[in-house]
Amino acid sequence: MRVQRKLRRQSLAKLGPALVVLGCSLFFVLPLISMARFSFQNVPMIRLGKSTLLDGWSIEGVKKAFGDTEFRTALALSVRLSIGTVVLTIALLLPTILWVQLRLPKARAFVEFLTVLPYVIPPIALVAGILPLKPHARWFLNSNYSLVPFYTVLALPFTFRALDAGIRSLDVKTLVDASRSLGAGWGTTLRRVLIPNLRTAIISSSFLTAAVVLGEYTMARILLKRTLPAFMAQYQGHEPQGGMALALTALVATTALFALLSLLTRKRGPRVDRAPVSMVGPTSEHHS
Amino acid sequence: MTAIETTGRGRVNGAAPSASIRPPRDYAWVGLVPLFAFMTLFLVIPSISVFNRALTSNDGSKTFKALGKAFSGQNLDAFKFSVWLSAWAAIVGVVLGTLLAYAATIIRRPRWLRSLITSFSGVAANLGGIPLAFAFISLLGRQGLLTKILSGLFHYNLYGGDFQLDTTAGLTAVYSYFNIPLMVLITLPAIDGIKQSWREACANLGGTSFTFWWRVGLPVLTPSLLGGFLLLFANSFSAYATAAALSQKSLIVPLRIGFYLNGDISANEDQLGFALASWMIVIMTVCMGLYWVLRKRAERWQQ
Repeated sequence: MRVQRKLRRQSLAKLGPALVVLGCSLFFVLPLISMARFSFQNVPMIRLGKSTLLDGWSIEGVKKAFGDTEFRTALALSVRLSIGTVVLTIALLLPTILWVQLRLPKARAFVEFLTVLPYVIPPIALVAGILPLKPHARWFLNSNYSLVPFYTVLALPFTFRALDAGIRSLDVKTLVDASRSLGAGWGTTLRRVLIPNLRTAIISSSFLTAAVVLGEYTMARILLKRTLPAFMAQYQGHEPQGGMALALTALVATTALFALLSLLTRKRGPRVDRAPVSMVGPTSEHHS
Repeated sequence: MTAIETTGRGRVNGAAPSASIRPPRDYAWVGLVPLFAFMTLFLVIPSISVFNRALTSNDGSKTFKALGKAFSGQNLDAFKFSVWLSAWAAIVGVVLGTLLAYAATIIRRPRWLRSLITSFSGVAANLGGIPLAFAFISLLGRQGLLTKILSGLFHYNLYGGDFQLDTTAGLTAVYSYFNIPLMVLITLPAIDGIKQSWREACANLGGTSFTFWWRVGLPVLTPSLLGGFLLLFANSFSAYATAAALSQKSLIVPLRIGFYLNGDISANEDQLGFALASWMIVIMTVCMGLYWVLRKRAERWQQ
């Protein structure tokens, strides 16, 4: 690696950090490479060697997986759940955070506390709590879409942070006063002043929500909903290659989603460059 | 200013201007009702129902028996293994994550390296679940690529000892894929907080590099490192999907809860799943509470 050569010339003391970076990059890249091999190469492991390295590559497995009708229903369900969760999240959080910012600043700590609560209740415990409630709300829990509010809860620590960071970087009060004094109603203010200014924050929190929903397995599995991850887990059992290809696609798609997210947030200048991308719950943002 | 009303659907509407003429009684808290009601319905009530079921025996009486029984036999083994595994996964994550974060601050060139590491960490910290499990099956499984490379090139049989993907070593490797990046995100600000001037001050007073790290650097970093450990521990402790895809056995607590919930068990064991889930919530609460305290301490040096 060029990095490493240059560093060795500079000083030997920097060799350590370079090795750490090199080792870590291997650790993070190797699983993806091996996944790609299993997804696209039809050579049994026993026969894999220098001579067969380039043999038998094809996209048959992916094609088969994508052609599966069950896959399509599962994907469609997961996409619909993501959209539903995004809409519910924004509808719930945006007014609340704006309200807190404008009228109730002293409640901020309380709202923040509410939004990190899901961190304390792991999905497996939450879903355990849902099961005994089933006899009381069968009509609701039998529907696939009953996952939407629970996924909203699971994503709340991330989505709150992304939206909150965006809103706090604006002078909301001045914007609202200016818009109101120009004769705009609340609807117009929200639609033409606040939402355009908060576009980045809204997009980031939507991506974070979508990423959570598209990857969630625990609740779907226990509540027997056929979402994409649930399908993937079951499909892998009888179509190892197709399952692997789906998993690789999911990883690549998630990575692309986040890469796009960090690009979008960077373009809007330095004011939101730290907070929205990190999706680590009650951790990183308010550092520094 | 006129009052704002938040409707149940979350739209913000204007109220009649006459609202501001009324005597100034503060109804501002009304705006929190939708979020509060939502959290109560979809988080608080299910959590209460976990504890409620754990404490209720089949004949309807209240008893602590199940909570005690959750700490015996196979369930106790699951707790022991879960704690042991999560501790290891957290330690490995803390050490390697801190080293990587330190390397990212030390290496100045190429310039993009640091931003690549932070962006990638932001992504990888959130990977997990089924796809990640598959990735490691393809790498370190019995037919895995690395398994093959190790035996082909280095004549080392990975499965010669008692290695499996669902042992402490195997799961630690898998969990590191999201734990290391998470730790990078946690410690980077803390490492950035160590000022060059402190180093110079230490050198002026005759301190060596070792003195600096031992007397200044480590004490400043300690809250972040401990906080990171707790967060990584909690993260590994609650992981279900990854382990579920890697193992057929119910070795760890989340898998055992799933095993009870799926219900291939006699009726009087039904309570046990809820008892396990209750203990899990308790442990997570303790971890996150301590984490919160440590984070406040860590932030002192990051102004």
